[in-house]
Amino acid sequence: MLAVSLKGMAGRKLRTVLTALAVVLGVALIAGTYILTDTIDRQFDQIFAQVRQGVDVSVTPKKLFNSDNNANPPAFPASYVSQVQQVPGVQKAAGGIFDNGVILDNKGKKIGGSNGAPNFISSDAPAPFNPFHYVAGHGPTAPNQISIDKYTADKQHWHVGSTVRVGGRGPAEPYTVVGIAKFGKLNGLAGAAIAVMTLDQAQKVTNKVGKLDGIDIKAAPGIKPEALVGRVQQALPNTVTVRTGAEQAAKDASDTKSGLGFIKTLLLVFAGVALFVGAFMIFNSFSITIAQRTRELSMLRTVGASRRQVLGSVLGEAVVMGFSASVIGLGLGIVLAKGLKALFKAVGADLPGGSAVVESRTIIVSLIVGTLVTVIASLSPALRATRIQPIEGVREGAVIPRTRFSKIKTPFGAVTLGLGVALMCLGLLTNSTGSAVWLPLLFGTVLVFIGAAMFSSKLVRPIASLVGRPMESLRGVSGQLARENATRNTARTASTAAALMVGLALVSGVTIFAAGIKKSVNSAIDNSVKAGLVVENKDGWSSIPQSAGKSVAQVPGVGNSSEIRLSQAKVAGVSGTPDVSGVNPVTLPSVYQLDWKKGSNATLSRLDGNNAIVSESWSKSKHRKVGQQISITTQSGNHATYTIIGTYKNNVHFLGDIAVTNTTLARDFKVTDDQFVMYGLKPGANPDQVKAQASKVLAAQYPNAEADTKSGFKKTQTEWINQISAFFYVLLSLAVIVSLFGIVNTLVLAIYERTRELGLLRAVGMSKRQVKRIVRYESVITALIGAILGTVLGVFFAVIVSRPLAGEGFQLSFPVGTLVILLILAGLAGVLAAITPARRASKLNVLEALAYE
Amino acid sequence: MNAPLIVSAVDLHRRYGEGDAAVDALDGVTVGFPKGRFTAIMGPSGSGKSTLMHILAGLDRPTGGSVVVDDVELGGLDDKKLTQLRRDKFGFIFQFFNLLPVLTAEENITLPLKIAGKKPEKAWLDELIEAVGLSDRRSHRPSQLSGGQQQRVAVARALLTKPAVVFADEPTGNLDSKAGDEVLQMLRRAADEYGQTVIMVTHDPHAASIADHIVVLVDGQVVRETPAGEADEVVELMKAVA
Repeated sequence: MLAVSLKGMAGRKLRTVLTALAVVLGVALIAGTYILTDTIDRQFDQIFAQVRQGVDVSVTPKKLFNSDNNANPPAFPASYVSQVQQVPGVQKAAGGIFDNGVILDNKGKKIGGSNGAPNFISSDAPAPFNPFHYVAGHGPTAPNQISIDKYTADKQHWHVGSTVRVGGRGPAEPYTVVGIAKFGKLNGLAGAAIAVMTLDQAQKVTNKVGKLDGIDIKAAPGIKPEALVGRVQQALPNTVTVRTGAEQAAKDASDTKSGLGFIKTLLLVFAGVALFVGAFMIFNSFSITIAQRTRELSMLRTVGASRRQVLGSVLGEAVVMGFSASVIGLGLGIVLAKGLKALFKAVGADLPGGSAVVESRTIIVSLIVGTLVTVIASLSPALRATRIQPIEGVREGAVIPRTRFSKIKTPFGAVTLGLGVALMCLGLLTNSTGSAVWLPLLFGTVLVFIGAAMFSSKLVRPIASLVGRPMESLRGVSGQLARENATRNTARTASTAAALMVGLALVSGVTIFAAGIKKSVNSAIDNSVKAGLVVENKDGWSSIPQSAGKSVAQVPGVGNSSEIRLSQAKVAGVSGTPDVSGVNPVTLPSVYQLDWKKGSNATLSRLDGNNAIVSESWSKSKHRKVGQQISITTQSGNHATYTIIGTYKNNVHFLGDIAVTNTTLARDFKVTDDQFVMYGLKPGANPDQVKAQASKVLAAQYPNAEADTKSGFKKTQTEWINQISAFFYVLLSLAVIVSLFGIVNTLVLAIYERTRELGLLRAVGMSKRQVKRIVRYESVITALIGAILGTVLGVFFAVIVSRPLAGEGFQLSFPVGTLVILLILAGLAGVLAAITPARRASKLNVLEALAYE
Repeated sequence: MNAPLIVSAVDLHRRYGEGDAAVDALDGVTVGFPKGRFTAIMGPSGSGKSTLMHILAGLDRPTGGSVVVDDVELGGLDDKKLTQLRRDKFGFIFQFFNLLPVLTAEENITLPLKIAGKKPEKAWLDELIEAVGLSDRRSHRPSQLSGGQQQRVAVARALLTKPAVVFADEPTGNLDSKAGDEVLQMLRRAADEYGQTVIMVTHDPHAASIADHIVVLVDGQVVRETPAGEADEVVELMKAVA
């Protein structure tokens, strides 16, 4: 029986290939994601193992809690080195600095751009801890000397003797390159640029005089590193972590990797979307094939095949197709991994490369998921095939008996839809976080899609009539036939369109959501920011040295200024690590108007070292009201208690959930760098001129900082939204492409079914062009049905998902123009999908089409 | 028999396949069809009668010889021109599958005109629909019509454009004798009342007997051209050539 199916597959090559393609693409994305992330992971493992080579025991500051931004824990006193040296069994110990910095390229810009690979400042380490192998020159011996990693030196064409400008917490200063270093065998650290300085100089430029980021220890001969760890820990306060070198390398690697975990999840979600869309297509393709094979299957039943054998034959075909498609998808995944890396680079995340790592997990997951999706999607058509009766079905024009389910499909679809919406609401209304939110959201969304797809066959006629009428009046009989053909089998058109509906719903949902965020950010800035000039880091999230902000204050035309700083805290008895911002209560009102809920600018003037103001949404969700106290632990290990004296609406998270004075932030959080500095302008000053002046000042010394006018600030604050949306669009386009293959597939099958009709049309004088037009318009109608349903769902998703954000100043905005463009694009995609089927239809041999049996 | 020829074929050859497997469906057919007359092409299966009709109607191309329809030499036309010719000068009635299931009876009748982007003449359309007895079935879909009614829709469609020639390929082959007779009578009336040229392919002597003129084909060659007589004579004729 399976042999019959397989021969059939071979006979329907185009259909088989198109159907399999849906699985191929989905699996390729899964495999590509795993290969990409595994490759990156392995790179990091190698890198950190290399860096910690020669280190038996490592001392680092203890990270008290994990926060969203991967800020380094504060440095510890340099005096710990001498304490460590006292510990028996320690042969040698040396302290070091490793911190973010800015290394300028030949054009005066930060290497890799503001969102690119990080720039680091490292202190030189004595043997045996020194991870650097000099291929030219030597390590720095004077304050004005640096060595550079070979990767960066090669890229920038630097050599021993070049002058390179490097900045830490202060302005960038010139250094002479005295050495080019490799890390063991590696030219560089995953694309990062590293400047190695003497320890004193590194401490100076990173504002860590008398402090260290780590201590490397060499054990005396015969002492095991594991044994030494406990002794060193005892000698030092518990604000530091002591690990063996190998453990530390593994910890460094896993910290870095966990930052990438979300990328993996994100990509896998997109792979899931592509497969979900593919499942619609597989379902459709199998349904049509079963309908076309009714006579063949009936004949098989007549000659003695059992229902089970029919079922087995169809499912067998699904297994073979799913498995082969998964194998191809796996192969394609290796190529796709490179494409994804390029995609991330395009949005500013330069990930380390290396030869592709294909874990056995990648192979197993890809093959199982691909095969399973195919089999599950073909289950319903396969069951339907078993209902074909012997003999009866052999008649010309026999149809498969309707299943009991098909009669209740519409109400069932409506119920599924309702259930999906209910689940989504459940996810959105819950107070908890994590999987309690996204699990119901995810399943709710899937149910909404399935329900809408089942329900949508009722909507095919009205929508087809809506979009088909203009074509009909414009193109006459071709338009009419296209519309009639599209509504001939509403269930088939609906499930073909459903695939596109899923893609379009997600695309338009993202579009509406992004437009909402933009509008919210813009109005938050309009309503609150009174400053005429804002200085921040070009990457949009890192801090800038205080001196950068101060240098702009000297620019002519600049008036008042106020700094906003940022850190995180753990609050006793409360989940999460809220952002804590530091403000200057005296100068803030002149440049920024808080949107007070309880309190006023007078409350601000009462802000001191013992109190804080908090955002209304945080106050509500965490049940911490005005007058109550919060006990916090900071990243630096300090504890403090603040009384809440006011609440504000934290529109688009411009400030953190908790705000204290900058003095408090310096005291308890040890944070003194600025997140933004806002400046008022003197009367009559031209914002653009002041900005130009300020930019000149910054470019000379702080090239990673930028000055912006208020309108420019709005633009930079919304730029990331465009980037993220573009990234989403690229990945969602995969799902859209799969659904287009679905349209191609359905059209090809429909044309096959209508061979005789087309032959008749050609015989009575329809031109090839007109035949093509019929196919093309049918495709456009199908695509538009999917697009319209998708857009409606997208609007719905955006509205429902953004509801809980309304309290944080989220304002819905419907980018009608963009949505219309999406619909037009969907129509054009329909034209594209119709190219091959239309050509097939027009090339049909009239005589063969009309030939009698 | 002095009517001018509207369709004439000279030394038509049609070979299918190559080498030893080659089959000559037409092997030197020269035949003419007078204007305004009803001609039946007869022959046993495999005689090449359908191939002849397909070539005359521009649906197939000969491997040798030429066809002239209404002073137009078909051999010189590309696919586009041939399609236009079929649309404007020919009407077709097939044995099966004459109608598009998604269109109503009336829409099926006006299909060739719609394809040409023209509007049907109302009075003529009404007259035709009346003549084929479908006045109360205009907005029915083919699935709601009997086999005979469906075939009458096809006849009306073939006649609507007042074509140079109506080609009918076994138009009664799929009908019971009563419905078949109705269709034949309509074709007869078309020739008599409207002076419509009709060329019908059939293997049924009874059907052929209604024509003015009979062309008998055997093994790809014309073996007889004769005015039609009574059905019995036609049966005798068929026996003779068989």
